[in-house]
Amino acid sequence: MQAWYHCENVYPFVPQEVLDRAPSVRASLPNKYCDPKISADLFEECLDEHLLCDELGVNVVSIEHHSGINSLYGASPMILGILARQTKKVRILSLGTLITIRPDPVRVAEEYATADVISRGRLEIGFVKSGDSEMVSGNANPVGYVDRFWEAIDLIQKTLTSHDGPFSWEGKHFTHRHVNIWPPVYQRPHPPMWAATGDPETSAELGRRGMVNALVLRGPEASKRAFDAYRDARREAGLPAPGSDRFAYAALCYVGDTDEEGLRVGSKLLWFLNTSLKQAPQMSKFLPGRLPPEIAAQNYRSAPRPGSLANVRPGQSLIGITAEQAIARGILCAGNPDTVYRQIMDIYEKVGGFGHLIFIGRSGFLDHREAEKGIRLLAKEVLPRLPAATTTPAAEPARAAE
Amino acid sequence: MANADAERLTVRGIELEIVRRGTGRPILALHGFDTIDPSASFLDLLGRHGEIVAPSSPGFGHSPRPKDFDTVYDLVHLYLEVLEMLPGDKVTLLGFSFGGWLAAEVAAACSHRLDKLVLVDPVGIKISDRETPDILDIFNRSPDEVRRRSWHDPDRFAPDFDAMSDEALVVYARNREALCLYAWHPYMYNSQLPRWLGRIKVPTLLVWGASDGIVTPDYGRAYSRFIPGSRFALIERAGHHPEIEQPEAFVERVSRFLEE
Repeated sequence: MQAWYHCENVYPFVPQEVLDRAPSVRASLPNKYCDPKISADLFEECLDEHLLCDELGVNVVSIEHHSGINSLYGASPMILGILARQTKKVRILSLGTLITIRPDPVRVAEEYATADVISRGRLEIGFVKSGDSEMVSGNANPVGYVDRFWEAIDLIQKTLTSHDGPFSWEGKHFTHRHVNIWPPVYQRPHPPMWAATGDPETSAELGRRGMVNALVLRGPEASKRAFDAYRDARREAGLPAPGSDRFAYAALCYVGDTDEEGLRVGSKLLWFLNTSLKQAPQMSKFLPGRLPPEIAAQNYRSAPRPGSLANVRPGQSLIGITAEQAIARGILCAGNPDTVYRQIMDIYEKVGGFGHLIFIGRSGFLDHREAEKGIRLLAKEVLPRLPAATTTPAAEPARAAE
Repeated sequence: MANADAERLTVRGIELEIVRRGTGRPILALHGFDTIDPSASFLDLLGRHGEIVAPSSPGFGHSPRPKDFDTVYDLVHLYLEVLEMLPGDKVTLLGFSFGGWLAAEVAAACSHRLDKLVLVDPVGIKISDRETPDILDIFNRSPDEVRRRSWHDPDRFAPDFDAMSDEALVVYARNREALCLYAWHPYMYNSQLPRWLGRIKVPTLLVWGASDGIVTPDYGRAYSRFIPGSRFALIERAGHHPEIEQPEAFVERVSRFLEE
């Protein structure tokens, strides 16, 4: 199994009373609450954690922000550029650049190709649909963003695989009359592609495309539903059954020397759920385009009617969760190495296997020293015991020309 | 989304739900952020002065939205087509808020089919400098602020979501989604429109709720200056929807203009 260290580089140092008063900790929280000197320290620490991962054989993930306290990574390609140069061995996953709010996917493709070249073919390209406050901070129309997502992926893929001079793209959402990036991508035909989604329809499309399906903080049941949709779609399309290398599971994860330490420190990761998800209603439940009107309508009631699907937004039900609940729901793995191994394997069995474990190992007030300890213990004591990924037979874009 | 009771109008294969009321001169009414409620009292009052035809734009109300029909350009051409389909030499065009923008675009393109134009708290143009938005961002501002600034008396007139039927709520959510699709960017205006408002050759009345906090009366006065010979009328004790908050005063002012 491949392990991927995921740290959003959060900024938890805003006074609680400010956060309590703010209608949203994303998009609209004034940046006067973010000290650039502290931010510089945080970047240094988080990038150092990625270098430690490089020593230990743990792959790394770069995300792109939510314009607020839960991430300082404003642009994934920028972080990829640093990681591509500073790490030497491990693979680097962008999960991902917010392509639904970027006006020109060709620019994104060029930035990805550059990072792939600098890293000599260690880049993996993940896509996220984005949504909510990111549509607001990104000034992007939230209605129709799923169509935009797929067209951006198509254009990026075409851009990365075209080498014979300019081509023209006149799509529904994007037009670009002269596409011919330099440098071209290092891996051929292109770096492995991923997408983070828990929506079975999107998972089915990922299956048909052979992309890696990552589920972030969705728990085993939703993950299994998505992976099943992925498998079914491939079967229906006459494609080979996927190996576990097409599936990624992401959870908050902390390994301590003892269960007590693992749980105590790991509980700090819940800040991500309890503090950093707060969004103003106009940026979340009332934002058009997120849910079909037939479902979204119930959000207008002060209490949606029983059985309503309106508030099944994945993050919503996680706010206020305790460590014990989070562990029971497969959102958090925390304890000593044996415990964490068992927790991961329990999830592994429930979802039918996965080849990639994305572990969110730093968030909130969990500090640099603690994060590094957790990474070391996971890499040395847990990772070697996890089952090897099975591979997906051909008819797939070839992996790196390594 | 079919509503069996509603009358429909088919325009180039696009099916529009319509509300029809009254008799007399044809009045094409283009709705604002929300579709026109068939039980709204201004319909009966205004129906004494003409035959109102009020379509729900594609994606709004119970009107389906064809694939790739998703721009103000589409809406303007749709209503140019509707104008041609309506009987009689001339049509009175009445546009509310977002529909006021559409009506202004249609009138600038096709004055010869119109006898009069009435714009009610329309959006659609940019007046102030680049750092001063003219139109309240109803998608990005808090629901409480939007409610407060939409109505003179929000407690009496703002929609009570808990009291609405499931069907009415779905229509409300459809209206929001469609509006967002058409008007997100640039937000609720066409920067080229002021240049062409001078083409409007028919008598024009702008009616404005004095308490409108979505687009202020000053915005309305500036709008009026772009339309040659247009008049501007304020309705007291009304916000963005004077036809709902002050139906009698609204219809009195509009009908006086129509009878001139």
